[in-house]
Amino acid sequence: MALDLSMFNRFAVNFQPGDIIFCEHEPGDNFYLIQSGRVQIVKIIDDLEKIIDILQPGELFGEMAILEEAPRSASAVALDNVKALEFNRENFEILMKGTPQIALKLLKLFTKRIYDQKRRFLILTLDDPQAKIADVFLMLSESQPVSDDSVNARTFMTTVDDIAHWAGVSPVESKRILSQFASQRRLEIFPDKIIVQNINDFARFVSSKRRSQVSE
Amino acid sequence: MPKAVNYKSNSIVYFKGDINEKIYILNNGRVSLNYNDIETGQEMHDLIKTGEFFGVKSAMGKYPREETAVVLQDSSMIAFSVAEFEQIVLQNTRIMIKMLKVFSNQLRRIHKQVRSLLRSGNDVTDPETGLFNIGEYYLKARKQKQAIYALRRYLTYYPSGKYASEASGLIESAEGGTMPVSNISSQGTTSRTPGSDLSDTAKSYYNAVSLFSQEKFKEALSGFKNIVEAGIDGEYEAKANYEIGRCFYNLQNYNVCIKHFTSLIQKYPKHPDLIDALYYVGKSHEGSGNVDKAKGFFKKVISMARAESPIMRKAKKALKGLEV
Repeated sequence: MALDLSMFNRFAVNFQPGDIIFCEHEPGDNFYLIQSGRVQIVKIIDDLEKIIDILQPGELFGEMAILEEAPRSASAVALDNVKALEFNRENFEILMKGTPQIALKLLKLFTKRIYDQKRRFLILTLDDPQAKIADVFLMLSESQPVSDDSVNARTFMTTVDDIAHWAGVSPVESKRILSQFASQRRLEIFPDKIIVQNINDFARFVSSKRRSQVSE
Repeated sequence: MPKAVNYKSNSIVYFKGDINEKIYILNNGRVSLNYNDIETGQEMHDLIKTGEFFGVKSAMGKYPREETAVVLQDSSMIAFSVAEFEQIVLQNTRIMIKMLKVFSNQLRRIHKQVRSLLRSGNDVTDPETGLFNIGEYYLKARKQKQAIYALRRYLTYYPSGKYASEASGLIESAEGGTMPVSNISSQGTTSRTPGSDLSDTAKSYYNAVSLFSQEKFKEALSGFKNIVEAGIDGEYEAKANYEIGRCFYNLQNYNVCIKHFTSLIQKYPKHPDLIDALYYVGKSHEGSGNVDKAKGFFKKVISMARAESPIMRKAKKALKGLEV
């Protein structure tokens, strides 16, 4: 969707790498549309800074505060030199009416977020921590297009900490489970990525756990 | 092209798990969306009203249907492709904004459910403590720049807050520590800089707001009055003027409150808080027992306020309270 946003230039703001754009718990009435650079969404959980998302140009963030007048649920930090358009509650409706494409973007963003959160909820309802971690890989693979269906191995650009965060399992325990999987040759761990040898194996494992949980 | 489709009673528009790009609007008849609650597993039935869209989220998000759409009595509906649906809402922002509200509520709810399972759901910390904790966290993590930002924001919103002196102390030590202050603010022409660059007027304004939120209305009132009297910054002057009226209301000086807001409205006919001001005039009339006048003002608010806005709800509630 190519949008002419030049009329909104007066709303432009710039940030340097590492700048906090807004902070968790801060009362929020602005939301942002990234024009250039990337923005990290982070949350401090149990004294650890967790990266929840990395947003690209064209993406929106901070949109929850504007609809619900609630404090920020996470912080936004500039990863690069970031140029963004900053809107607030007063000009929100003007913006929505004048540029309904942005409202549509928001609508799509919400459908995606709702789905992702529901998917995450399903992971968390599993009792077995091993199954939780396997299910995180399934979730990641669902959102990642595959070029060749006949290949069962999947590469995930992710870290042990990320997996722990999604699974709701402590990093220590996640590490233990992942190395157990690695010793069974079900996956390989690299500093910047994890390769799952056979994603279908994980799918079978998770669905059998889920079934046995239901029948209990 | 959007297509009119008819369904017989007991037929199925789509099954849970189907992948299908259609979005429907119910023209007449009865359709129920059946699904299992993700938390309890309980079977849920959501009835679709005529004129309501369904199948929106899964079609737009391109994921499998999350519910089965069952036709309860002979129904007619129109089926849209995602592209057609987008065209419609792009031309009808009212529908879109309504959907945005529904979706944002759903999102809040699922967020909450996730948090309750994560059990670190004990982050029910109040925002004030939360913000301060983040400053502390960054300090510990030796991220001075971020720590200073969070602590400054803390002081902006809670200058008389419970950690205020601690926060100032931490900022000082963070600044003295490793990095020159000039690095804190970002550069560039339109850069917005952290709380440090707030004008004195803004600081006194937020200070008074903070006093107000602690229900120290007298102290807040004199703070706001100082801003208006100083008359340095027109924007804050107008904001403070509005807050003065709210202080009078909370101090139960109803007549003064009415007078104050009346002159405010004359002075700033386009004040951003105009509708709220009218609401407080209504509440003041209510407080002094002028029920008819109060009702008049609440009705005025309802006629001017945006649908679903908090002030609209408040005015409706107030009006209802008087009609019993």
